[in-house]
Amino acid sequence: MTFPKVSRLWFGLGLIVLLALPWLFRNPYYHLLGFNLWLLVVTASAWNMLSGYTGYKSLGHSAFFGLGAYLVAITAARYGWNPLWSAPVLGLGVGVIALLVGWVLLRADGSAFVIASIAVLLIFRLLALNLRGLTSGAPGLSQPLPPWSPQFSRMPFYYYMLGLAIITVGVSGFIRRTRFGLGLFAIRDDEGKAASVGVATNLYKVLAFGISAYFMGVAGGIWSYFQGHISPIFTFDILNDVDMVIASMLGGLGTLWGPVLGAFIIVPARDLILFRFGESQIHLAVFGVLMILIIVLLPNGIITTYRNRRRRRAGRTSAFAGARTAAEMTEAAQKADQSGPEKPVR
Amino acid sequence: MSLLLETVDLHKSFGGITAVDGATIDVETGSITGLIGPNGSGKTTLFNLITGVFTPDAGDVFFAGKKVTAARADKLCHMGLARTFQITRLFWNRSVLENMMVPVPHVGLRSLFGPGMRSEEEGRAMALLERVGLDHLHDQPAKELSFGQQKLLELAAVLMSNPSLVLLDEPAGGVNPTMIGFIMELVRALHQEGVTFLIVEHNMPMVMELCDRVLVLDVGVRIADGTPAAIQSNPRVLDAYLGQ
Amino acid sequence: MLVQVLLTGVLTGGVYALMVSGLSLIFGVMRVINIAHGAFLVLGAYLSYWLFTLAGVDPILSILVIAPLFYLVGVGVQRGLISRVGGDAGFVVLLTIAVAVSLEGIMGALWQSTVRTVRTDYTSTVLSFTVGTMPLRVPLVRLGGFAASLLILAALYLVLTRTRLGRAIRATIQNPEAAQLVGVNIAKVKATTFGIGLATVAAGGAMFSLIFSFNAGSHVEWISKMLSIIVLGGLGSLPGALIAALLLGAVENLSAVVMTSYISPIVFYLILFLVLVFRPQGLLGTRLRKS
Repeated sequence: MTFPKVSRLWFGLGLIVLLALPWLFRNPYYHLLGFNLWLLVVTASAWNMLSGYTGYKSLGHSAFFGLGAYLVAITAARYGWNPLWSAPVLGLGVGVIALLVGWVLLRADGSAFVIASIAVLLIFRLLALNLRGLTSGAPGLSQPLPPWSPQFSRMPFYYYMLGLAIITVGVSGFIRRTRFGLGLFAIRDDEGKAASVGVATNLYKVLAFGISAYFMGVAGGIWSYFQGHISPIFTFDILNDVDMVIASMLGGLGTLWGPVLGAFIIVPARDLILFRFGESQIHLAVFGVLMILIIVLLPNGIITTYRNRRRRRAGRTSAFAGARTAAEMTEAAQKADQSGPEKPVR
Repeated sequence: MSLLLETVDLHKSFGGITAVDGATIDVETGSITGLIGPNGSGKTTLFNLITGVFTPDAGDVFFAGKKVTAARADKLCHMGLARTFQITRLFWNRSVLENMMVPVPHVGLRSLFGPGMRSEEEGRAMALLERVGLDHLHDQPAKELSFGQQKLLELAAVLMSNPSLVLLDEPAGGVNPTMIGFIMELVRALHQEGVTFLIVEHNMPMVMELCDRVLVLDVGVRIADGTPAAIQSNPRVLDAYLGQ
Repeated sequence: MLVQVLLTGVLTGGVYALMVSGLSLIFGVMRVINIAHGAFLVLGAYLSYWLFTLAGVDPILSILVIAPLFYLVGVGVQRGLISRVGGDAGFVVLLTIAVAVSLEGIMGALWQSTVRTVRTDYTSTVLSFTVGTMPLRVPLVRLGGFAASLLILAALYLVLTRTRLGRAIRATIQNPEAAQLVGVNIAKVKATTFGIGLATVAAGGAMFSLIFSFNAGSHVEWISKMLSIIVLGGLGSLPGALIAALLLGAVENLSAVVMTSYISPIVFYLILFLVLVFRPQGLLGTRLRKS
């Protein structure tokens, strides 16, 4: 990626601030909040690479988060693999499994896809509950504590997840600029048309599914290490998907920074809600209502709505954009006529 | 002259209603072939069977000497068969230039993860846009174009895949006379440059003026085949149009 | 033994048929998959439970109160929320999921996570009889639930076939554009259908409270079960849904005998996944595809 000079400067400054934050706010509670923030940036951005870019809205994507979490926890408990390196490696396995699942799942589209994706999540959860030899079933799995001093317990996790978040957003931004990304956006707008102009739609969708699942898997692996103990119900939880969806939609579905912005709003908000309502399940209701409001009132998200508004304001001054009247059409046609066929290009 | 496209006895029915009942047509390399027929005579269904949108119940499609029955649309596009749609289809939220770049052919993973916008292809796209008079709108979203401009963009974008055969589905549908004239000029010029066309169209003056050969379909079956002049005086054609 | 298992399964399937009829109807008219249906089912069960424990109203009688209430809620949800989200089927599904999550939160706050069920004085009554030489045992609540479900379904059938409204609904299912052309007020039909859909699930919920135990989180398991039924039957096909309900009631009872009860829900999830991916039109019904 090439940044303009000023933005490179800001990027550097921002990074320094993010790196310094855990030292400025020493309370472990803030480290937890920071970890959760970067975690949601990773998962929402990864979800957005598939669902935002292609329009295939998966609600079972935390199946791969959970798969990563379990693979890392099992290998840590059995073979003593250190999650810090095993998560990005085992993530590849998650990606390969996701390619296979996606290859089948992506035959469905629209609401059939949404529901079939939930079914995938439920199947994974049921397997985690029942393959007791591997997963220990409902009580779940524990793994060794991190070797570093408890004094720093959460700080390395904060930095790890920050790094992963930067890589995920970087890859997401990279994809947007490639032919691959162009093809994904084409699929979102009109899949049949995309195929008719040469986009190998199945390949594109399945690849996006796999890449997205890779980051879900790595995030899940680190999360399981952070937790120290995981169980099927909370690892394969549709509410994880709801978080990703709300964050992406609130920020701007299919935009690069939308999921990031959304995560920055959702994580503190969720924390406030949980703090305010404590153990009571009412926080679920607050979350549900928030999701309803976003879908009904702000389906395009903050970034896209802002951009459209700015565009419209600019559009008023340029007379030609959006020409729809017959007169304007003729004018366009005549213009086209004049600059017409004299200059062959083929 | 060699045959670029050939369909052999294609059949397709939907829930008991026969849309195409044994279509055998061919398109010669380097021709502008017209495909006409009354409403519901299976022209668009035939297009969809040729381009892999529908799978035929029976019959075969050959393109450039290869059997391509029920081949995937993207594969056909890579082989050089492109099409436009009766109701214009574009990537509405993408810019005009991006609409031009999607059809650019690419090979292998390296090019897949190469930049979406490439200078040499971008130059070609801008030149084509200039040719259809849309270059000044290259960064507008496609949905903000006028109806006629959208039709032109669809045609121009399809050319980016370097097709040898272009299927046009009602290029003049809902377009004003000035624009029809312009589209005809464009088709003629592209034809001069070596592109073969198969055109479904209801605008008879346009078909008769533009095409060097006209096929007439009824329920997907060819009922007449010849020069525009011969078709106009063919009694079976008049029957099909008037006797429905 | 096999006959006994199948019989219990079919009786349960009758209740399932009532539970999913609204889901299928809503999809048929609106092409909307209402994920909140499971949450409304559990809410209906909770309200029956409340009426029973607080006022001593029999769950089957409580239908008379909850069904009209749910009808109004349904009209409100359709008019106020769903009709405002146009176009994208994915967004509408997300919206109904959001409704389900909200309901789960509210129910969890009101009734905590304790698993509840309604225990009337006839709950543990079992009828035994013999057919030929075969002794059969049927719990009274299952038989009653089955009979009441059939009655309500019959009423629904009459509404759909004999009334002006029913004709409008069926016309809309077959072809919304054509229905609009002949003067059907689509917006009104959609709201009414959503209302009826929720009213039937309220009735289903009352029956449910008698037969099953539940808490706020149960809706996830039940919506997957209900979805696999209507998906197998063919989305939007009411007869298909009824056949699939009986079928799956029987299959579920069998699989619970064959497998451990922990893994047996996988039958439903697999059906859901495989049918949606490979045969979206189900046994009877329309393809759930964009084009």
